[in-house]
Amino acid sequence: MKRQFPLFLVFIFGLFMVFQYFVPHETSEWVYEFLLDWILVIGIFALALGIWSLYKVSVDKIKTRKANWGYSYVTLFGLFVMILFGFTSQNGDSWGWYFIFVATVMLTIGMVIQAMVSSGQKGLSLILAGVFLVASVLIGMFDNAWSFHFYTAEGLQNSMFRAFFDHILIPILSTMFSLLAFFIASAAYRAFRARNLLASLLLLAALIVMLRFNPYLSPIFGDYMAKTSNWLMNVPNMAAQRAIVIGIGLGIVATALKVILGIERGYMGKG
Amino acid sequence: MRHLLKLVIVVVLLAWVSSPAQTDPPAEVDSVEVAEVTPPGPVTSLSVTDKDNDHGHATVLSWEASVDDSTGLANVISYEIFRWVPFAMDHVDSLRGQLSGLRAEIAAAEDVTDEMETRLDLLEAAFDAAIDNLPQAHGQYPQNGEWRSVGVVASGVTAYGNTGTKEPTSADYIPDYADLYYRVDAVTADPVVRTASEVYGPVQCYGQWFNTDRSPVLVAVLAFGFFTLLFVTLAKKGTDLYVRPLAGIEAVDDAIGRATEMGRPILYVLGLGSAADVATIASFTILGRVAKRVAEYQTALIVPTYEPIVMTVAQEVVKSSYLDAGRPDDFKEDTVFFVTQSQFAYVAAVNGIMLRELPATCIYMGKFFAESLILAETGALAGSIQIAGTDEIAQIPFFIVACDYTLIGEELYAASAYLGREPILLGSLKAQDYAKALVVAFSVIGLIFANLEWTWFVDLFHVAN
Amino acid sequence: MSRTAVIVFAIVVVLFAVSWVAKAVVLSDTSDSGTLDAFLVTVAAFLTLAIYSFLYKDNPYYKFAEHLFVGVSAAFWMCQGFWTTIVGNLLPRLSEGMANWFMQPYQPGGYDLGFLNLSYTVLYWIPVILGLLLLMRLSPKGGWLSRWPLALIIGTTAGLNFVRYLRSDFIVQVSSTFVPLLGQEPHQWQGIGAFFSNFSLDASGQFVALLANWVIFIGVFCGLVYFFFSKEHTGLFGRASRVGIWVLMITFGASFGYTVMGRISLLVGRLTFLFEDWLGLIT
Repeated sequence: MKRQFPLFLVFIFGLFMVFQYFVPHETSEWVYEFLLDWILVIGIFALALGIWSLYKVSVDKIKTRKANWGYSYVTLFGLFVMILFGFTSQNGDSWGWYFIFVATVMLTIGMVIQAMVSSGQKGLSLILAGVFLVASVLIGMFDNAWSFHFYTAEGLQNSMFRAFFDHILIPILSTMFSLLAFFIASAAYRAFRARNLLASLLLLAALIVMLRFNPYLSPIFGDYMAKTSNWLMNVPNMAAQRAIVIGIGLGIVATALKVILGIERGYMGKG
Repeated sequence: MRHLLKLVIVVVLLAWVSSPAQTDPPAEVDSVEVAEVTPPGPVTSLSVTDKDNDHGHATVLSWEASVDDSTGLANVISYEIFRWVPFAMDHVDSLRGQLSGLRAEIAAAEDVTDEMETRLDLLEAAFDAAIDNLPQAHGQYPQNGEWRSVGVVASGVTAYGNTGTKEPTSADYIPDYADLYYRVDAVTADPVVRTASEVYGPVQCYGQWFNTDRSPVLVAVLAFGFFTLLFVTLAKKGTDLYVRPLAGIEAVDDAIGRATEMGRPILYVLGLGSAADVATIASFTILGRVAKRVAEYQTALIVPTYEPIVMTVAQEVVKSSYLDAGRPDDFKEDTVFFVTQSQFAYVAAVNGIMLRELPATCIYMGKFFAESLILAETGALAGSIQIAGTDEIAQIPFFIVACDYTLIGEELYAASAYLGREPILLGSLKAQDYAKALVVAFSVIGLIFANLEWTWFVDLFHVAN
Repeated sequence: MSRTAVIVFAIVVVLFAVSWVAKAVVLSDTSDSGTLDAFLVTVAAFLTLAIYSFLYKDNPYYKFAEHLFVGVSAAFWMCQGFWTTIVGNLLPRLSEGMANWFMQPYQPGGYDLGFLNLSYTVLYWIPVILGLLLLMRLSPKGGWLSRWPLALIIGTTAGLNFVRYLRSDFIVQVSSTFVPLLGQEPHQWQGIGAFFSNFSLDASGQFVALLANWVIFIGVFCGLVYFFFSKEHTGLFGRASRVGIWVLMITFGASFGYTVMGRISLLVGRLTFLFEDWLGLIT
């Protein structure tokens, strides 16, 4: 039951989606739309599981004093402060006591975590947590510069939520992305050193295309380089892409079929 | 070979003989002169049918162009399509507007009064009744309604699709099983000067239960399903199925052994795909095999995940592998954990893990995007043996350059069958091979027919969206 | 912490403070919240540098940026998902009361099966229940219940992918290999006389256009042979497979080269931020 029923569900839903593809009738369209919506909603519940996992791994790291455990506080700080920002916003131009409120909430959470991870004295941490909690509640009650807020998706555009997005998430994200410029160079060097036929073919093709798109070197080789590189992109590239795509397509189709038929069930645990 | 050569020569000769004749240039079109008063000839042979292969809220119109469309007076510049719409439709529109207005009002209200609730209930009931009444209202043609424009096409065009939505709450709703009437006006530069066609109707639209445009896919589904089941059955009966060795797969076992010797962990990255991506499902199966070996050798395994559902499934997979290996107690919950659902934050964290834990082996299987090279290069810096597999074509080159072994595209899907060595999984691999052989066969046939300009064969493969 | 680490940390703190103050002075002319903005820009700049420091080696600043990034991004996606999917789409369909509470317009609806009218309220409670079943993972006893929602997701998408890829990656691809090897529109066969006359690699000449079609055909053929699993790659078959892997490698090389320029522009973008938005050295 524990394993057979889910496999039966997979079969039923899989079969339905295959049939659905061939049935244009509105009933089939409705069910299709509902199913896709359901998957979205289930995904959000799963996100809660994810956040829980992140929280638990971080707290466990602190508890067991694993290497670099101190940084887990940074993760937890980022997590909770961003959630708090996602639920509060400024009412006017002034921030009032907002940042002090944020600090007291963070300290409350920090002290609770401290109490959870410490094996001995928990009393002091809990008392401090209580004090910070009272302070944050008082600020929340009497400060009118900001408030808890219900947002629509557009609503998330205001407040510190947006500021953290712009000044923490985006810079780190684009910097991580730009690391690729360095790594692509080291990867090219690695390919250069490999010195076998396949690596050389790869590198040669890469060089031709790279020279084509280099604004300084491209003119030296003139028209011919551009044409060769276009030819490479349009002809052998096209052929290989097609072979790979057909292969991948068959792989996906075969795996999906095996999943529907319950032949491939590695993704479903036992017991 | 010799036969093929002969065939090619024949085809070459045929192509030469049938080289195209010079075609005459199209006749010059007289410059258009706008006749201010003379109305153009009407559109003829108007016919309206239910749109095929759809959900049942659309019609298709076709007609023969007016005699004055680019010939004759040549004064038709467009055709305007009209549908007869009962006034009941306005009633529906008005109720729809009132409903959404009231709902917005209620949403914005501090507290919802009983009066609002009552009004809402009444409106909802009225709206449902108005929708149910639509077929009957259409039946009253030509009373209690008027002609409304539904679209305009340029002269020269002789077809139009009047496509609506299936949601009654949308303004584009066209009722199914209701009598619809259409007419098409030939319109001149002066919009007042126009000639209406004869009215066509009644016609009803309704949904179909089979999309004939997709029959080639149905044939493929049946054929592929048949092959897979056939080979799986053969494999179950014990027919020996050969599979060629794949370097990347054989490296997996060695890599786990290496990690054990070095006393360092194995890092398994499932990529950025969701549990719904087939590449990720294939990766789960590989993870299962790796985890079982890891459990047997008592090596450490680290599985950071990007997607919470993937985390859930991966936990289940790894746990079962430890159970299979007979070491359920060695399984630790934090082997598989969630990092974050942000591409580069995930990469930053995995990079950190690589440089701090120095895994002996890094395995990347699943869907990868721009982060592939960052991961693989960092892994190389950390001195790990790296095995990758992805079906993202754009990322394969990066893995090839930076990893020791790379499973290219379909090899990723084959990997689960290889590692499992279960006959039924190998059986479906055989079905994939037969499908590829079919591709080659079809291509050759298709090529010959394409060169002979026999398009019917090519058309067999035509699938509408 | 070692002595050097302390000194480096002190320098970083001082630099941060100096940058903050300097930026605040510059921004105070144009903005009311100059101090806060200056702080945020400085944070962005230091986080950028912290990530780059990873290229030298793993260090506390990278660790800090990495851990902060993970926490903030996880919360970002959670809030985004909560407000858009749960509050924006689910609750307004689930119940009028909840829609009103979250100040969202109620979106009633449903589907009439003829014999049974399913309202949104019923239809959208199903994923909520399935979502809650997923959370049962956290309980030691009810973990197996979480497989039901997973089965729905995996079954549905497997069915979807099965037909979709059969169409897009198989049927459509097969039909596009039907290329005219002997010349047809738009590169019509012009007789043997003109065959070699326009030999240029931009694929407009007759010879080159035909050559391209042949290369594509043979490339696809050999590529597919390479992906054969159930036949030994020896003899003629093995040779075709060799050609196949060569063509694949050329493709991967071309794709590699094509990406390089794009990646360099990303680096340029970051440098622009550091030198223009933060330091103001270039405008």
